[in-house]
Amino acid sequence: MTDAVSARNACAADAVVTLEGATKSFGANQVLKGISLEVCEGDVLAIIGPSGGGKSTLLRCLTMLETLDGGSLSYGDVRVCADDGGGRAIYGGKDVIREAKTRFGLVFQDFNLFPHYTVLKNVTDPLVSVHKVAKAEAEERGRELLRKMGLSGKEDMVPCELSGGQQQRVAIARALAMNPQVLYFDEPTSALDPELTREVLRVIRELAEERMTMVIVTHEMAFARDVADKLIFMDGGQVVERGRAADVINAPKHERTRAFLSGYAS
Amino acid sequence: MQERSLFFADRERWVAVEFGVMLGLLGEGLMLTAQIFVVTLIGSLPLGVVVALCRMSRFAPLAWLAKFYISILRGTPLMLQLMAIMFGPYYLFGLQMGPDWKFIACDIGFILNYAAYFGEIYRSGIQSIPRGQYEAAEVLGYTRAQTFMKIVLPQVIKRILPAMGNEIITLVKDTSLAFVLGIAEMFSQAKALAAREVSMIPYAVAALIYWVFCLLIEFILNRVEKRMDYYHD
Ligand SMILES: Nc1ncnc2c1ncn2[C@@H]1O[C@H](COP(=O)(O)OP(=O)(O)OP(=O)(O)O)[C@@H](O)[C@H]1O
Ligand SMILES: [Mg+2]
Repeated sequence: MTDAVSARNACAADAVVTLEGATKSFGANQVLKGISLEVCEGDVLAIIGPSGGGKSTLLRCLTMLETLDGGSLSYGDVRVCADDGGGRAIYGGKDVIREAKTRFGLVFQDFNLFPHYTVLKNVTDPLVSVHKVAKAEAEERGRELLRKMGLSGKEDMVPCELSGGQQQRVAIARALAMNPQVLYFDEPTSALDPELTREVLRVIRELAEERMTMVIVTHEMAFARDVADKLIFMDGGQVVERGRAADVINAPKHERTRAFLSGYAS
Repeated sequence: MQERSLFFADRERWVAVEFGVMLGLLGEGLMLTAQIFVVTLIGSLPLGVVVALCRMSRFAPLAWLAKFYISILRGTPLMLQLMAIMFGPYYLFGLQMGPDWKFIACDIGFILNYAAYFGEIYRSGIQSIPRGQYEAAEVLGYTRAQTFMKIVLPQVIKRILPAMGNEIITLVKDTSLAFVLGIAEMFSQAKALAAREVSMIPYAVAALIYWVFCLLIEFILNRVEKRMDYYHD
């Protein structure tokens, strides 16, 4: 059911992300039970599934906030970790990890903006501090991104002066500023009310139209169906079903997927 | 008092001179008080960082040691600690310390004691920063040092400022404990003057000076707090 072969999309070019046979346990609780996925350039992949199914853990492993127990993970030609053959993941050295970290961005459910920095500095400081971009250049890029997020005029405010939807759009700008090859979202609208959800989803939809590569964990089924190309349904630490987003949501094949989706109005 | 009036026929003039002498002596005491205060802060503010880091260390014996240190220093009177340091070298090792030892012992005692309190305040501040801040910084590629200096520390400072203010103001008044070591700080001077003049006025004046000292510190702390008021989390 989770064989690596069916996980292969066979990207036209090199895959942006390749994960194979990922396993992860917290103590006795195995949360990921051999997950494989491949994200091609320009793909929008939605990940759905019931609470506790391991979606966040999967994203945290992909972004190296957690380490995998077993399996292999690559960003293009950067091999973050490889299976030692005995089911143990062996991670690459510091340089490899540092390089891999430049390949992705992550947008959190609760934004995690830096509250003591202005909106603009939230976006530019990582560029200046981490990527040694000149301040003026970083600010130009920051303003441009904020404009794109519909946040012109908010540059000098601090996050606590913004609505949740605006804060989340700052977080998206912050992630985009690093020019990541893939952008991960972990339930980006779960902390927002419907109206604010809409403005954040609109921004993500625009990014999708620009062929930004994205992996989105979401409970917004209509959004997943309309915006994502591909979709994974996860439950109990396994991929239960995967396919084209519209196909899976409109006509789920697996019983568990059907049961899960019937809980949503869409 | 009576014999004094022999020297000063004019009683009012006598009162003025006596008041001047009192202020002079209290002023000398204040210098020592301020010195204890400043030296304690210079020593204990950074030492508190070390205490907090040890206390949060993943190396269990170190954390345990720090916990023990904090427990002892917070759990026994500062006055006793000062005396222990003052007389410890003699009673434990038979060492005769020089005449200046009391000043050194006093500074050591205050620094060690306040480092325990500051360490705990730092720790509570650091641990109150949400995990998400570290994770956001990590994903963005900040190094651990950058994360601490740029992201965590500024937020910690804002959060601990009220508690630090409390502790610093307590220190102003705690300096009076140096009198047990025979250090002529302001409280000792007031006590001596009060005994000599059979008057409560030196105490009252000393109290006023302590209060003004604290007002000054409150003023500074308020300004710092205001400067960090531009955001809340
Ligand atoms: N740091 C951790 N330590 C121990 N257990 C954890 C940890 N993180 C997650 N888990 C466990 O892993 C399982 C999967 O959690 P995860 O957060 O990945 O699920 P999820 O699919 O994201 O759920 P949700 O939709 O509620 O966000 C849960 O049983 C959770 O209790
Ligand atoms: Mg989750």
